[in-house]
Amino acid sequence: MSVVVIGLSHRTSPVELRERFAFAESKIPSALQALRESGIAGEAVILSTCNRVEIYAATELEPSKAFDGLKQFLVASSHEVGSLRCDDRTAQRDVPTFGEEIYALAEPQSLHHLFKVASGLDSMVLGETEILGQIKDAYALAHQHKHTGARLNKLFQRAFNVAKHIRTHTNIQRGSVSVASVAVELADKIFTSLAGREVLVIGAGETGEKVARALLSRGAKSIIVANRSFERAQTLAAELKGRAIPFDDWSGEFDKIDIAISSTAAPHHILDRPKLEPLMKSRRQRPLLLIDIAVPRDIDPAVNALENVYLYNIDDLQSIAADYLKQRTEEITRCEQIIFEKARPFLESRENQPQMRHGPAAVRGLDASEQLPAS
Amino acid sequence: MSWFTDRHFFLLAVVLYGLSTVYSVFLWRKGFRRDDHVNYFIILAGVALHTLAMTKRGLTFHSCPVNNLYEATTFLLWALGLACLVYSLLPRFKFLCAFTAPVLFTVGIFALMPSLDPPHGPKPDFSNWLRSLHAATILQSYGAFGLAAAAAGMFLMQQHDLKFHKLRAMLSLLPSIQRLELITLRLVLVGFVLFTIGLVTGEQLPRPEGKPYLSDPKVIWSALLWLVYLELIVARMFFGRSTRRFTIGVVIAFAFLLLTFGITNYYSGLHHQ
Repeated sequence: MSVVVIGLSHRTSPVELRERFAFAESKIPSALQALRESGIAGEAVILSTCNRVEIYAATELEPSKAFDGLKQFLVASSHEVGSLRCDDRTAQRDVPTFGEEIYALAEPQSLHHLFKVASGLDSMVLGETEILGQIKDAYALAHQHKHTGARLNKLFQRAFNVAKHIRTHTNIQRGSVSVASVAVELADKIFTSLAGREVLVIGAGETGEKVARALLSRGAKSIIVANRSFERAQTLAAELKGRAIPFDDWSGEFDKIDIAISSTAAPHHILDRPKLEPLMKSRRQRPLLLIDIAVPRDIDPAVNALENVYLYNIDDLQSIAADYLKQRTEEITRCEQIIFEKARPFLESRENQPQMRHGPAAVRGLDASEQLPAS
Repeated sequence: MSWFTDRHFFLLAVVLYGLSTVYSVFLWRKGFRRDDHVNYFIILAGVALHTLAMTKRGLTFHSCPVNNLYEATTFLLWALGLACLVYSLLPRFKFLCAFTAPVLFTVGIFALMPSLDPPHGPKPDFSNWLRSLHAATILQSYGAFGLAAAAAGMFLMQQHDLKFHKLRAMLSLLPSIQRLELITLRLVLVGFVLFTIGLVTGEQLPRPEGKPYLSDPKVIWSALLWLVYLELIVARMFFGRSTRRFTIGVVIAFAFLLLTFGITNYYSGLHHQ
């Protein structure tokens, strides 16, 4: 029994197309049942996320026959299931004909593909970890309804191990690739802990809000919002469970805060060295992280020369995020090497696997002896 | 195995410290990204051999092995290595070994010079436990100061990288700079308390005939060192001296200690008998 995969992802198709094929979680067990009853697959797992819809199947059929059957099944399901996760506005439109949008892989590429997906190598944000959780959920669902057996159980367990191995032994998941998470990481490098830190948001812009939210989620104590429109400051402060202050009072808060995020539309620097120097003295030289995401910049770069002041502007943050991404990209070859090595024993052991029943008569649920824990 | 003396054990320990130094350079070049425990285990093996060397020497002479410059230096290094191993157990502090290894290695090489380990003469006739306490606390305080200097070195590197927006600051597995500063200050405080106890007990020791106390070079040097560390602590804790200046001071103070320790010991009438 060999493992094949068919599906479409963000790499091959736009969201308008992917969403037509997406399976609602509640419909997946019945879809898997139908798939096995059709005789195409002896075991199957359906992975349906916003970025991909994939069917992993263990089948006795020749790959080309299995692909035809799975493609038909996928197209038919897109008409029948019709309950979507991302955006169902276009759900009822007709499914167009396909070219390169749907990919179909047989062994060994199917195994390599699953390992890559589980490790985040095929994700939109390279190296992200959310996909691993989604694969675990998809597998657990199929396993719970007894649609997996010895072959897929072993394969998915191995995929989880490979993903863990890659996360531990490579830099594919190291570092942050968004401005907000880079800012949080910076704060982590400066302060013992983010718990109890006060954050001042000057200017209630969107990126500033994102950074503030990211800091709050990592344990920052409270947010103070200063904005030219006091009403907007109050709204944002209420959302972030912080407090709003009049814009002209923000410098008075420097005694208390540890992190300041500035994103005003001011055409000139609102904070410069002569203004910050006395404020730092009154802070007794406690470290201060300044994040200037405004363009034009709100904070004079000269303040970075002050002791215990760490100033990062939008370019600095984006440059760090880009460096991380570059580093992750450089790790791809290494990860692929690991994947090939880890897939080899699985492929070699295929000949020794027990033959699975398949076809409509066998689709009652797999034997308990063929089930593995879904962890 | 009788030909295998305590000095041989110490030599092996220094070889391991050297290996750790080489590995530390590799870790530094790699930006302290991978925390693979290798350095920790090399230092652990080195300290184990070092302990064996000191135990063997102590058992041979039935006293705490601090009777000459070789023994005093090896005791100092042992305290430093042991403290490093303990502090490295703190989260993200494994790389402390990388900063300590070069000190252990270079000072270890210095200690191995044969002239530092002359045959023992007649033992001075005074209370042994007080002398042991004096020597142990003083040398352990040096160990704490050394470790503080290593933590300060980590702080300075990390702070420089953060100030100049180096990616290494983000990629390295070093602790936050605030934590490094806290550890440095605590180690200096521990060292200072031990040093003070050592000086007080030293003053209590009976002195040989004709050996002045206050004019002894080692006593003057120790008093100066005590004042230097006192100034560092007071300026940081009560006068808001910047962390950077404080940590630079800690590194300089320990460098001064290392460079002058042997000389003052050599010229000390009280210690060089």
